[in-house]
Amino acid sequence: MRTTPPGAAPDGAHPDERTDERTDEVLARRAALGDRDAFGVLVDRHGPALYRYAVRLLDERGQADDCLQDALLAAWRGLPSFRGDASVRTWLFTIVRHEVHARSRRRAGPGGAAPVDAEEVLERIRDVRQDPERTSVQAALREALDLALRLLPPRQRSAWLLREVEELSYEEIAQVLGTTSTAVRGLLERARTTLAATLEDWR
Amino acid sequence: MSDRDRAGGEDALDLAAAALRAHTEDGWVLARPGLLERVRRAFRPSAPVLGTHELGDFRVAADVVVDGLRTAVDALPDAAADRISCSTGGDDRLESVLVEVAVAFGTPLPALAGRVRRVVVARLRELLGEAAPAEEAVQVDVHVGDVVRTLREVR
Repeated sequence: MRTTPPGAAPDGAHPDERTDERTDEVLARRAALGDRDAFGVLVDRHGPALYRYAVRLLDERGQADDCLQDALLAAWRGLPSFRGDASVRTWLFTIVRHEVHARSRRRAGPGGAAPVDAEEVLERIRDVRQDPERTSVQAALREALDLALRLLPPRQRSAWLLREVEELSYEEIAQVLGTTSTAVRGLLERARTTLAATLEDWR
Repeated sequence: MSDRDRAGGEDALDLAAAALRAHTEDGWVLARPGLLERVRRAFRPSAPVLGTHELGDFRVAADVVVDGLRTAVDALPDAAADRISCSTGGDDRLESVLVEVAVAFGTPLPALAGRVRRVVVARLRELLGEAAPAEEAVQVDVHVGDVVRTLREVR
């Protein structure tokens, strides 16, 4: 029987992956030389955040696996030409955003994405808040936030997630979205207003 | 902004953002092994490099050449490959190789450069056979890309 020692990384991951002290830039250069273990460390380091980001932009969670797979393959193939103009983390988020955008465009078709029913979202948030069965306030808040995020247009949603959850700077977000820091400021302002108003009844 | 200025819902929004930040998706935990395996098997297209063996000419991907040089340099006890680039001529013949290495603190650099050059030339011979350029014909510059206390920080 195979046992996992305490503190070991799960799922066959190298035990050092969680404590690897190499910088992203060193790992990226090593991965560019064909070092797949170095790329594995990068994936373990940033994968959870990239997945969290993709899931909330795609709406359909089932698509996140395929999206991440394509994004990581694109990153692996693109590493030899990565010059470090942006940080590795910013570069990875940019690749994920492009994959999400391509999938959303294909899914929406020529008529664009179907509009979200704001009343339905608010109703569902009220249900989450009042659910007597809920065991965790944190989980309920996350669920309410996920619903509220659906009310935001894609770029506002993306900017808000990158700033408030992933804690990227305005400049980094501008790189991911292919825009300016000033435009990011505007996107964030509008996103915050909508989200705060949607969660206003949450006490 | 004072507490009084905060619009309704902003406190809940901050708490929700913090909760999401601390959360790892179940989907990621489930998908991670498969994603890593897929990437480990992934092919990375790259330019061809000419090789020659007893049966004639063949082409090998530049990515394979770079990977082979990396493992050769990494086998040295006091150096780790940091950057490697190859240039080929019109017939895909390898014309130059640039190797940058990170070294452990205190390593005598001229001697290390010579050893790096020798293992690179030897590995090129293994990979490309007679098409591998001779040592004196190949531009193998060894740069100290990063001086670190221990190679553990690089490898």
